Amino acid sequence: MVLVNFKTITVVPAGDALVDNVLSKTQRKTPTVVHKGYAIGRIRDFYMRKVKFSQQMFHDKLTHILNDFPNLDELHPFYADLLNVLYDRDHYKLALGQLATARSLIDGIARDYVRLLKYADSQYRCKCLKRAALGRMCTLISRHKKNLAYLEQVRQHLARLPSIDPATRTLLIAGFPNVGKSSFINKITRADVDVQPYAFTTKSLFVGHCDYKYLRWQVIDTPGILDHELEARNTIEMQSITALAHLRACVLFFIDPSEQCGYSLEKQHSLFKSIMPLFANKPVIVVANKTDLGWESALDDSGRALLESFKADSGGRAVLMKMSTHEEEGVSEVKNSACEKLLELRVESKVRGKKVQKVLNRLHLATPKATSQERTPNIPASVLAKRAVQSQGGDDTRMGGEDGDVEMGEEGSGPGAKKLERDLQEENGGAGVYSMDWRKLYKLRKEEWAYDVMPEIVDGKNISDFLDPEIEAKLRQLELEEDAREAVRDVTGDAEVGGYRFVTQGEKQVVQQIKDRKSLIKQESVREKNAHKHRSALQRNKVLTRRSRLQEHLEGLGLEKEEASDLVDRAASRRGVKRTRSESVAVSVVRSSSRPRSTSRTRSVSIAPNDGFSDPRQKAKAIELARKKLKTGVAKYGRKGDADRSIPSKLPKHLFSGKRGIGKTDRR
Amino acid sequence: MAQGEYIELHRKRYGVRMDTHERQRKRNAREARRRAAQARNLTGIKAKLFNKQRFKEKAAMKKAINQHFENDKQSSRPRDDSVQDGALPAYLLDREQQARSKVLSNTLKQKRKEKGGKWDVPLPKVRAIAEDEMFKVIKTGKRQKKQWKRMVTKVTYVGEAFTRKAPKYERFIRPMGLRFKKAHVTHPELKTTFCLGIIGVKKNPSSAMFTQLGVITRGTIIEVNVSELGLVTNSGKVVWGKYAQVTNNPENDGCINAVLCV
Repeated sequence: MVLVNFKTITVVPAGDALVDNVLSKTQRKTPTVVHKGYAIGRIRDFYMRKVKFSQQMFHDKLTHILNDFPNLDELHPFYADLLNVLYDRDHYKLALGQLATARSLIDGIARDYVRLLKYADSQYRCKCLKRAALGRMCTLISRHKKNLAYLEQVRQHLARLPSIDPATRTLLIAGFPNVGKSSFINKITRADVDVQPYAFTTKSLFVGHCDYKYLRWQVIDTPGILDHELEARNTIEMQSITALAHLRACVLFFIDPSEQCGYSLEKQHSLFKSIMPLFANKPVIVVANKTDLGWESALDDSGRALLESFKADSGGRAVLMKMSTHEEEGVSEVKNSACEKLLELRVESKVRGKKVQKVLNRLHLATPKATSQERTPNIPASVLAKRAVQSQGGDDTRMGGEDGDVEMGEEGSGPGAKKLERDLQEENGGAGVYSMDWRKLYKLRKEEWAYDVMPEIVDGKNISDFLDPEIEAKLRQLELEEDAREAVRDVTGDAEVGGYRFVTQGEKQVVQQIKDRKSLIKQESVREKNAHKHRSALQRNKVLTRRSRLQEHLEGLGLEKEEASDLVDRAASRRGVKRTRSESVAVSVVRSSSRPRSTSRTRSVSIAPNDGFSDPRQKAKAIELARKKLKTGVAKYGRKGDADRSIPSKLPKHLFSGKRGIGKTDRR
Repeated sequence: MAQGEYIELHRKRYGVRMDTHERQRKRNAREARRRAAQARNLTGIKAKLFNKQRFKEKAAMKKAINQHFENDKQSSRPRDDSVQDGALPAYLLDREQQARSKVLSNTLKQKRKEKGGKWDVPLPKVRAIAEDEMFKVIKTGKRQKKQWKRMVTKVTYVGEAFTRKAPKYERFIRPMGLRFKKAHVTHPELKTTFCLGIIGVKKNPSSAMFTQLGVITRGTIIEVNVSELGLVTNSGKVVWGKYAQVTNNPENDGCINAVLCV
């Protein structure tokens, strides 16, 4: 059985609304701009998309409706029959079936027109075909207006049906109109059914719930039924019959022997007999209501016999009970016995079923063994001893502790009690004044260490080891000495006092000269550097000037002229030096002739090993230096470095020119 | 009252607010303003739908008002209950006796109509369709150089017995997607439409070649199978084929609508 929640069915739109909705959705959710100048394939796609989209929308909406409504063949027979009674099974099925047909027709239309659109050779033709396709779909749907309206009504009614669970424990109340069925359900549940003194006050099924044996029981109040043939029954009565036929419940057949309901007891009896087949396999209780009217004494013999015959006619299954809902006499007895009977039946059928074995195999009822041993609480001896002390000490001052149940608060106020930190605080000036002595809590090897003076340690050294006890005196002596010396200088004006002397005027001048010279050299060097833009001035063709300067320098150091020149030559000859323009050919010839050809020949300078550094260490150092310098530049001036994010072009042409199509966003 | 009808139950128990009717009246009075605002603010398709709906309502309203006026006029007139001489009861009104002269004139008219209207068709004039509109040139050959093949771009009828030539030699291609077998034929006197099978194309007014190819355009005379209608000739034979003229552009509408020539 498929359990359906009738309340979740969504609203069925009216035919017009459905058409409007789909058309406006098509308009909103598909492209809207097309020109006849476009390639024909593109135009065809544009219109095909519209046709397909509308078809899909119609298809989805109809499918949703068809899926929402319950399939009568899959429902519980009770609900299937109830829906048949209320909404007419044929009409219901026809409405759903026609919608299903409409759905497949719409699919067919879309297929046909898409096929035709493939042969369309102009925008006009495409548009005409699209228009025709949508028009035909809409016409089809608007032909089903009535079906949709019917389904919407069914939906609204379905949602308000009481939720009856056909499988649960149920009490079913049946009988002639006006015999007190609704009063009874009002008494035992909170259903709050309308009770009126006329027939057919209750026109549909009502559900209430009550408790019995901690179980939840469903009580169903049915409309009254009259005694005639099944075909002659109206919709209201048929609901009762449906419930009686399909629910496995305990049936409470209500009768009114006082005949105040307007139907004689014979009629009620004949109704009972005629609907007897519906009571098969169900516990039945015949409830004779309205005892407060005194029918028990007023009944004649034939009436009594009739009452008795209820039981006999049911094959002895039915039980006759008397009750008055007005006086509330016997109401709960009726309810309890009905529940009990049904419960018995359900348990019995379960035990008879196949499933019970599966459960019984696994069941084991554990019962504890009976022991004579008394189980007393276990109190430690230390606690008992403490309690004894407590009760002795406390007896004279207060009554506490007689039960041996000592609490923390009581402990503090006894004479043998420990002095608490709080008491100490109160004694020594109260909160805010008293500061707690933590040292008494120190856990040391010997307790007397707790109050020892602790050395002050700085950098792992005890400060007291470095403390000179006479430092003050020494300092004072030094100061005295200083004062005395100053006094002597002020008096004599002598430069030299006690091994020190003051700087003379001449010396000051010399120092000044040195400083000036230094600054001059520095300035010169700066100027030199700026002139070469911080580049090295060492160039091959400048060797001569360098040479002459070197010679000058050597002569300045006190060497003879020839000696200096020789030195310079030697220095220069370490590498093959080309003849410079200023050097005369003769000199060059002389120079070259003086050495073997192999040594004097100029060689092209090969790439120096280590990129011009003397050794790898120097190279590493230079690289490190360069890196540092670069770093300082970056940090100092906020320049862009290698690690910074770089956006090569802010407006790449391929992303910012032309229009964007339906396709990709990264190219046009 | 069913159990789920909680709103009705509440109304029954507690009634409605004291000012419910006043509020309802006011809401109804505001309705016109609300609709006016809507009419002012709506744009696009919604406005179109709204205006269409409003137009219908107004037309119905006017009709109703006019009807009321008529009723008022009639009711204000003094009623004449006296029965005229020779008046017939309502159930005999159909059996009006025709005057002999009227019969005569009717038969005359009928004859004239039959004579002159033998080749009278519902659409006497149609637009001629040129070949370049009718056919699309199909290029063939290794270098797409040959241009002797043609594809028909309109709806066609191809008989069931038709067998294609070998595709290589087929000059006119009639696409499967554009072949139709059924037409919606309206009987002008019965004012009803039937979906009937096509038997053949009798005449395409644009060109004899189109007729041969079975092209169906607006104004084409087609022969339809009317055996389902059960028409009978004067001599008592059952008519099974009848001519009909196409009244729409099938290639644009996706269906063939025709009027039976009677």
